[in-house]
Amino acid sequence: MPPIPINADRVATRTLELIATLVPLPMQHVRLLVMTDDLPQASLTLAETESFHPDHRLPEASVLAEAPGRDYRERYRQAASRLDKIAKLVPVPAAPPIRQLHVVHPDELIAVSLLLRERWEEASRFEEAFHRLDEEERFLRDQQTALENFANLKIDLGKLRTKTRFLDFYVGVVPRENVSRLQGAVQLAGHLLFKYLERADSAHVIIVGPRGEGEAQLDSVLTSAGFQALPIPRGLADTDPAQKQEELATRRAEIAGQREALQTEIAQWEQSNREMLVDARRTLLLAEPFVTLDPSIRSLGQLAVLAGWVPAAAVAGLEQRLEETLVMPFHLEAREPRPDERHLVPTVAVKNRWLAPFAMLVKQYGIPQYGEVDPTPLFAFTFLLMFGSMFGDVGQGAVIAGLAWTFRAKLGRFWLFGVMAGAASIVFGFLYGSIFGYEEILPALWKSPIHHPILMLQIALGYGVAFIVVACLLATYNRFAVRNIAGAWFGHHGLVNLAFYLALVAGGLNVAQQGSFGTSPTLVVLGSLAALAAYGWRHFDAPTSEKVLVVFIETLETVIGYVSNTLSFLRVAAFSLNHAALSLAVLTLAGMMGTTGHIITVILGNVFVLVLEGGIVAIQVMRLQYYEGFSRYFSGDGHEFAPLRLKRGAEAS
Amino acid sequence: MSTSSQAYLNTRVTAMATRLFDPDALRQVAGLSLPELAERFGVQPLLEEQLDARTKARAVEQALIHRLLADLAVLIRPMHAAERNLLLTWVRKYALFNLKTLIRGKLYELDQDEIRANLFDLPPRVRLPHQELYRAENVLELLRALERGPLRIIARQARESYEQRRDPFVLEAAVDQRYFAELARSAELLRGEEAQAVQQLVGAILDRTNLMWLLRFRFSFRLSPSETFYQLVPSKRLLHRDRLLALANIDSFEQVIEALPAPLDRILAGSRNLIDAQHRAEAYLVAECRRALAGSRSAVSRALAYLVLREHDLLLLYALVQGRLLGLPQQVVEIAIDLADPDCPVDARAAA
Repeated sequence: MPPIPINADRVATRTLELIATLVPLPMQHVRLLVMTDDLPQASLTLAETESFHPDHRLPEASVLAEAPGRDYRERYRQAASRLDKIAKLVPVPAAPPIRQLHVVHPDELIAVSLLLRERWEEASRFEEAFHRLDEEERFLRDQQTALENFANLKIDLGKLRTKTRFLDFYVGVVPRENVSRLQGAVQLAGHLLFKYLERADSAHVIIVGPRGEGEAQLDSVLTSAGFQALPIPRGLADTDPAQKQEELATRRAEIAGQREALQTEIAQWEQSNREMLVDARRTLLLAEPFVTLDPSIRSLGQLAVLAGWVPAAAVAGLEQRLEETLVMPFHLEAREPRPDERHLVPTVAVKNRWLAPFAMLVKQYGIPQYGEVDPTPLFAFTFLLMFGSMFGDVGQGAVIAGLAWTFRAKLGRFWLFGVMAGAASIVFGFLYGSIFGYEEILPALWKSPIHHPILMLQIALGYGVAFIVVACLLATYNRFAVRNIAGAWFGHHGLVNLAFYLALVAGGLNVAQQGSFGTSPTLVVLGSLAALAAYGWRHFDAPTSEKVLVVFIETLETVIGYVSNTLSFLRVAAFSLNHAALSLAVLTLAGMMGTTGHIITVILGNVFVLVLEGGIVAIQVMRLQYYEGFSRYFSGDGHEFAPLRLKRGAEAS
Repeated sequence: MSTSSQAYLNTRVTAMATRLFDPDALRQVAGLSLPELAERFGVQPLLEEQLDARTKARAVEQALIHRLLADLAVLIRPMHAAERNLLLTWVRKYALFNLKTLIRGKLYELDQDEIRANLFDLPPRVRLPHQELYRAENVLELLRALERGPLRIIARQARESYEQRRDPFVLEAAVDQRYFAELARSAELLRGEEAQAVQQLVGAILDRTNLMWLLRFRFSFRLSPSETFYQLVPSKRLLHRDRLLALANIDSFEQVIEALPAPLDRILAGSRNLIDAQHRAEAYLVAECRRALAGSRSAVSRALAYLVLREHDLLLLYALVQGRLLGLPQQVVEIAIDLADPDCPVDARAAA
């Protein structure tokens, strides 16, 4: 036997790695007993190893009722809130590098919190100053609007500036929603309110009334209503409006100057406090693991217990690290997850660059339950296979891949998905001999769909049968994995269903080839249906008549469901035919034009096919994956492994 | 609301209404001891010996509010968005209680733990964004935080007035005023057959509130007619805008009572003081709610009536628990829960 070349060896290794991703990473339940004083250090160590997913269930022993980290958590939250408020005003790195890990004791946390309070008091003065400038600007805008209005009036509003011997005037702005009530209130004080302008949330009003007792009542009401008096410039009637505009512009420029000065002041403040703020952030990051763990920690006196899920391979390392870091004795118990707590065990996500975008799509449906097969590799393979076969075209595939590559920065991890979908399209394009819809330029390495429609439909049907069989096998495996033996045999898409389906397919082939269903398939179909009906009868608790009805309908649904689901895969062939037919239509139209028209039609036609049909094909493939695949074998009700982590920058050691 | 949803809600309300206290049931409950109350109403904190009376009372209050919220959660399930919004707006008063607690706590520089101990624990769709408000270091920061939310206009006004005179009254009055204005607006947004019955009931709630505010502001706080009118929320039932303008302008308590529209004039006739008037106004609202619960064709109106009555009962129960915790004489407790009213010449329940 010739030696396997080095490249083939790598491929084999990669393939094994890929297969390994199908099998869930074994997890263990870990229960850690530590002394209460060692809790901050224990939390830090657990975060450092990044292998501990907290189990938030309360301990079974009810004596462990104290929550030792409550005060610590409160202090942390207070300090973190202060730092977050400061970070809204000046940049404070979210995860600075942490060179030296150390335990943050409660006293240190209090000291940091107090220091941050002082800094926030300073910073909040800047914030308040900005608010004041914003308000002054808003008021200037109101003033300008009022002036523009007054300028159009034919009366001397300058007289409104001062109270007359008999009349009292108020000109100003009030929130719109208060106008109606204020109108009634001023009426009771013997005044009248005129609204002459509405702008955003505010209304510009003039209040006029006789001088006297009512005047005193009004002041309090005006305060409650948020009335802001607008100063009317002296000599309004005589002064040039341009001069007034200039005055307002000058004031605006002054405000801009003040704003700039304030920015400079903040920058200086930030510079002088930067180190302190970064240190505070580091302290809080080091304190965070204990705070995160807090809800799952319970204690009695000096003894505390916390529990979580750890990958089986990491348990020994975790124990060793705890031995190195904890000062006082501790006890770690690790065990296999019990069947009744499988739904609580987190699942470690697939870590493969090529599969990452597909994993995102699988996640849209759900996370595999612990023990279930992760469908991501199978999903990736079948997605590319179906998309390529339904949208096979070298040119259009290259456009998809090229666009995904060009916009990779914007697409994030998803760009690889576009490149692979485009590549699948290119591969099938070569097999079909199609480039931008032209089928005469490239020789087909296999066959052109439009010329072999029956063959395409037969292949699609065969693919559908294989897909459903694999899905049923996975469903069976998943149920065996979670010890649901009855479900694996008799549940939806279990072994009995599979036997029924295979017999149905065999019978169908017999009908096509020999004209009769055949005895063996008939017996298997009837036997499996009877077994399913008997299982349903035993497990359905209802009056007999209702039971008969439900079992009959469920059995009928099994038959109809498998037939219709298999036929559903005909769309794979239908879309490959549709793609070719649509391209043919575009080229026929282009053929009716002159040279320029031909080029434009081909370009626009291809854009149309890419956008519309490309989108539809992607949706159809997703539909087949979710409804014909996932709904059979994938519960999707697991939860992701999210270990306790220490957020720290790149320079961490 | 569809016919099936109406039927479902009506059935639900009818079933729930069996929990409401009638006078006999209330009299029976009034005779229960603390352990019996704890067992009957499932308020276990009452039996925890290590807690002090204040903490127990607080825990009981919280437990009773949770009961009300649980009823609300069931009732709003079949409702459409506008109807659901009305009931959620009604119950949001508890979020505003929290807001007022926060404002007072920050204003009087209370300890964070003390403020927290006085906050109600509410479900997400009812509560305000407390965390940001709770973490504010002072009133000004709290008001700035409020200015970023739906209460921005009143928060701005309050901040401006707070800077002039450090008094929480303006802000609290504005918060209350806005709450009732929002309730009225939510009722006005309803359409179809439900609308009129619900608006009638909301009108009764507003009438009761307006009446009490009017009497309190004018004759207890000695506010001017203008200031008083400004704080009121005109109702579309009895105390509409023009009537409130006229009532606010009257200078004596007795004349205001005389000038009230029927049936309020009859119910409040002879009221000697504010507490007396408050009992009678409350009895009026309870009677209106009982009427709606018994005879309204609108399921939403019945649901709201049930919730108002349920809240009324839970408050009586809370008063009873507090009386027991403080070791008050039975006679005083009975006055607190409306079973006896030695100062009131007219039986409030009978008057209603």
